[in-house]
Amino acid sequence: MSILSDLRFRMRALLRRHAMEQELDDELRFHFDKEVEKHRAAGLTENEARRQARLAFGGQSQVAEDCREARGTGLLETVLQDIHYALRQMKKSPGFTATALLMLALGIGANAAIFSVVNAVLLRPLPYAGPSRLVSLSEGRPKAGIAGAGVSWSAFLAMQDHSRVFSAVAGLPIHALTLTGNGEPADVSTVAATPEFFSLLHAKALLGRTLSPEDGRDGATAVVVLSEHLWRSRFGADPQIAGRTIRLDQRAYTVAGVMPSSFQTPFVDQADQVWIPLAQDPLFSKWRTRPPATHWMLPVIARLRPAVSLDQARAELETISAALASHYPAEKGWQAAIEPLRQAIVGDARTPLLLLLGAVGVLLLIACANLASLLLTRATARAMEMAVRMSLGASRRRLARQLLTENAMLGLLGGAAGMAMAWGGVRVLASFLPPDLPQPHSVRVDGAVLVFALVLTLAASATFGLAPVLHAFRADLQANLKKGARAGDAETSRRARSVLAAGEMALAMVLLAGAGLLLRSFTRLESISPGFVTEHVVKANVSLPRFEYTKPEQWTAFMNELLTRLQAQPGLQDAAIVVPTPIADTAVTLPFSIVGSAPLPPGAADTADFVSASPRYFRAMGIALLRGRLFSRDDTASTPPVALISESLAKRYFPYENPLGRRMMFGFPPHGEVVREIVGVVGDIHDVSLAQKPGSMMYVPFAQAPFWGGDIVVRSRLSTQEVAAAIEAATHDIDADVPVTEIASLPEALQVSVAQPRFRTQLLGLFSVLALLLAAIGLYGVVSFSVAQRTREIGVRMALGATPASVRRLVIGESAGLVLWGLALGTPSALLLAHFLSAMLFGIGPADPLTFVGVALLLSLVALTAAWLPARRAAGVDPIQALRSE
Amino acid sequence: MSSSQLDLPQGTLDLLILRTLSLGPQHGWAISERVQQVSADMLRIQQGSLYPALHRLERKGWVTAKWGVSDNNRKAKYYELTRTGRKHLEAETESWRKLTSAVALVLESE
Repeated sequence: MSILSDLRFRMRALLRRHAMEQELDDELRFHFDKEVEKHRAAGLTENEARRQARLAFGGQSQVAEDCREARGTGLLETVLQDIHYALRQMKKSPGFTATALLMLALGIGANAAIFSVVNAVLLRPLPYAGPSRLVSLSEGRPKAGIAGAGVSWSAFLAMQDHSRVFSAVAGLPIHALTLTGNGEPADVSTVAATPEFFSLLHAKALLGRTLSPEDGRDGATAVVVLSEHLWRSRFGADPQIAGRTIRLDQRAYTVAGVMPSSFQTPFVDQADQVWIPLAQDPLFSKWRTRPPATHWMLPVIARLRPAVSLDQARAELETISAALASHYPAEKGWQAAIEPLRQAIVGDARTPLLLLLGAVGVLLLIACANLASLLLTRATARAMEMAVRMSLGASRRRLARQLLTENAMLGLLGGAAGMAMAWGGVRVLASFLPPDLPQPHSVRVDGAVLVFALVLTLAASATFGLAPVLHAFRADLQANLKKGARAGDAETSRRARSVLAAGEMALAMVLLAGAGLLLRSFTRLESISPGFVTEHVVKANVSLPRFEYTKPEQWTAFMNELLTRLQAQPGLQDAAIVVPTPIADTAVTLPFSIVGSAPLPPGAADTADFVSASPRYFRAMGIALLRGRLFSRDDTASTPPVALISESLAKRYFPYENPLGRRMMFGFPPHGEVVREIVGVVGDIHDVSLAQKPGSMMYVPFAQAPFWGGDIVVRSRLSTQEVAAAIEAATHDIDADVPVTEIASLPEALQVSVAQPRFRTQLLGLFSVLALLLAAIGLYGVVSFSVAQRTREIGVRMALGATPASVRRLVIGESAGLVLWGLALGTPSALLLAHFLSAMLFGIGPADPLTFVGVALLLSLVALTAAWLPARRAAGVDPIQALRSE
Repeated sequence: MSSSQLDLPQGTLDLLILRTLSLGPQHGWAISERVQQVSADMLRIQQGSLYPALHRLERKGWVTAKWGVSDNNRKAKYYELTRTGRKHLEAETESWRKLTSAVALVLESE
C-alpha cells in the first residue's frame, strides 16, 4: 500500500466522517438483521432470534469504534476533538484568553519586529552575488589613532596591480552632483566608480548596460547609469532613456542604462543615485593624472579570489603598504586594512541592535513566565475536572495531550496575533529608525522573520505550557477527588508561581536598569552645550555645478555675492558660509605643523579639524573671540594667509606663549602646505558630536580656502521658512541652476548626532516599561490567587483577633519578600548587562548608583502597588462567611 | 456453539477473508457464514473482528467496497478483491502452506 493512497483514504475518511458513520451503522445493522433472519429460519421465535443475534454480536459501539480505529481516522479525529475542546475552553474564559493572547502577541510581536531589523542589517546576505567574498579596504595610521580612512590613489593602484589575493578591486568615491533639466535642479548622490565596480559585484542592468572598461578610458564619451528610482521619478520611466543625455554639474552625460532598485551601492542608502566613470568625474578624475600626495579619501571594495582567506589577504596588504612607504614618503606610517564588506557597512550598529534583540527576548521570557503562572492557577482550579476525567478512564497521556493542545492553540493564536503586531510594528519602527542605520529600506517582515516568529512561538508554548502539564501529571487523583480544588497540591503550585513572580521581577529589573542607564546617558548628552548657538540658526547647502564653476575664484565670487545679497536684507545680517558645518557634517581632520617648532618623527603628525568660514560665521554661531581678531572682508586670496585657532589648540601647543603672530602650515588640497599666520583664538566647540570632547581646530577665511559648495548659515529672528525662501531666492537670482538643498534649522540638523542613542533609549525604555507592567501583573495574579486560596485561613486569623491592618501587613509582607528576591537576583544580572552597555554610556559608569537605586525603588513601588489591591481584599474578608464557605 | 470451535491464529483472519472474496464480491455477513460453512463450523468469525478487519483491508487497498442490493432486496455493502489484494492472497497462501507443512513435519517427526 502506498503512503499516498493510505493518506488519501484517511483524508476521505476524515472529510466524509458523517457519511462514513452512517454507512458503518447501516453495514452493522444489515449484518444484525441477517443474523436475526438466520435464527428465525432455524425455527426460533422473533424475540429469541433477536436475543441470540445480540449475544453473538457483542457491543455494537465497541465494534464501530474498532472499525474507526481500523480506518485510521482515530488519531486525526482526537486531535480535532482536542482542538475543538481547546477552543471551547478559550471561549469559556474570555478574560483569561484575552490576557494570555495579549501578552503573547506583545512578546512575539516585539521580537519579530526587532528581529526584522536585525535580519535586514546583520543577517540577510548582502544583495550581491557571492557576498561572503566581498571585502572593504581602508588605510589607517595606527600610531596616530586613525583607523578606517579611505585609501590613497597610489595605494589603490598598488592594490589593483600588485595583489594576487583579489580577483577585482574597485574604487567608489561618493559625492553629490547637480542634476539640471527635467524640473528643479537637484543634488543627486553620485558614485564615481572605477570601471571594475559593476562586474566586481556581478550586477546586471535593468535597462541598457552598466559601466564597461571602455568608459573609463581617456577620451571616452561621458556616460551615466541611473538608479531605477531616479529613472521613474525624474524621467517618467522612459523606456527609450538609453542614449539620451542628461546634465550633471552642467555637463552632458549619455545614459548607458538603468540599475534595478534591488541594486544598492555599498555605503549608500539614497534611492536616487547615479553612477559615472571616475574618469568623467569633475573632481576625482584629476586623481588619475595628478594623484594628490596626502589624500586618504577613496572608499575601496574588492572581491577575494576563491579559497583566499582574510588573513592571507591581510598579509599581502602589509607587503603592499611596506612597498608604498618606501616609494612615497607621505605613505609612511599608513597601513592598509581589510574587513568583510558587511562589517564595514554595519559598523557600530551591531551592538545596540543585539542589545535590543536581547531586551525583547527578556520581555518574551517575562510574558512566558506570566502565562505559565496563569496556566498553573487554572490547572489548580481544574484539578477537580482532571481528576473526574481520569477516574472515568482517560489516560494520563490523553489528558497531557489535551493540555498540550490547549497550550499549543494558545501559542499559535498568540503567535498569529504577534505577527500581525510585528507587521504593523515594523512600519512604525521604520519611521523612527536612525538615519545612519545601514539598509533601512530592507527592513520588512519576510520569510526569515516568519520562521523566527514560528520557532519563537513553539519555544514559548513549550516554555509556558510545560508547567501545567507536569503539574497535572503529578496530581494525586485520590486527594483531588476528595478535596477538589481547595488544597491538594495547591501549595506546590503556589510556590512555583512565587518563583516565577520573583524571576519576572529580576528580569524586569535588568531591563529597567539598562533603560535607566541609557536614559541618564542620553539626557546628559542632550544637556551638553555644543559651544555654539543653535537656536534661530538656519542652514542650507548651496553647491555650484563644477563643470561651469571650475575655478576657485569663481566659487569665492559666487558666495561673496550671495552673502552680500543676503546680508543686505533686514533680519539676515548674520549670514555666513562654512565648510564643514559642525556635527551635521563629517569633520575634516588635517595634519599641520607649527613654523619654528622641532619637526616630528616621520610618520607622526599633529592633526586638527579644519574649517573654512566667512567672516560673520563666528557672530552667527555665537563662537566667542578670546584673543586677537576675527576674519574680515579684507582677508582675500591676494592678502597674506591667516588662521584662527581654537582654545584647545592654543592651550596644547602654545601653553606658555602668545600664539598670535606665530605661523602654522596646513591646508586643504589644492591649497595644501600653506603657511598661515595665527591672528586670533576662538572658543572651543563640539564639532564631531556632542559625545566627543572639543579638540584642536583651525579656521581659515573662505576667500583663502574656497570650495565649490558649503552650508549657508543664518542667525535670524525670522522663521525657518522665511530664511530658507530668502536663501533660495538670492541663490537663484544669481544662477537659476544652482540647487539649494538640505534646508533645516540647526537644532534639526544636529539631531543626526543623537539619532542612534535616541533610538536605542526610546526602544529599550518602551520594552522596560512593558516588562515592568507584565511583572506587576504577574505579581498581582500570584498574590490575589494566594489570598483567594487562603480565605479560610485569613478568616480564622481574624476570628482569633487579627486586625485588618495586620492581615494587610501579612499579604504585603509576603509580596515584599518576592520583590526582595527579585531585586537580589536582578541586581547582579543588571550589573552584568550594564558592563555590556558601557560603550553606549555617556557621562556615567555602568554601575551608576543613582540609576540602580532609582530602578530598585521604582520596581518596589510598582510591585507593592500591585500587591496592595489583593491585600485590601484580604483585609476585607468577613470571618463568618470565610469559615462557612468551606 | 460447539467446543470444537478454534481460535484463529494471528494474521489468518485476513487470509480467510481474502480467500472467501477471491470467489467473488460478498457482504460481511456472507463472508462469515461461508467461512463457518466451509470449515465445518470449526471456524467462526466474530463481528467484532470481521468488520474492523474489512475496514483495515479496505484502507490497505486490498479490497474495495461498493454498496449493492442483497438477495432480499436490501442495501448491503459488498467487498471485492483488488488486484493487489489477489497478489497478496497468493503470496500469503503460499507461505501459509509452507508454514503448515513445516510445522506438520516437525510435529510428526519421530
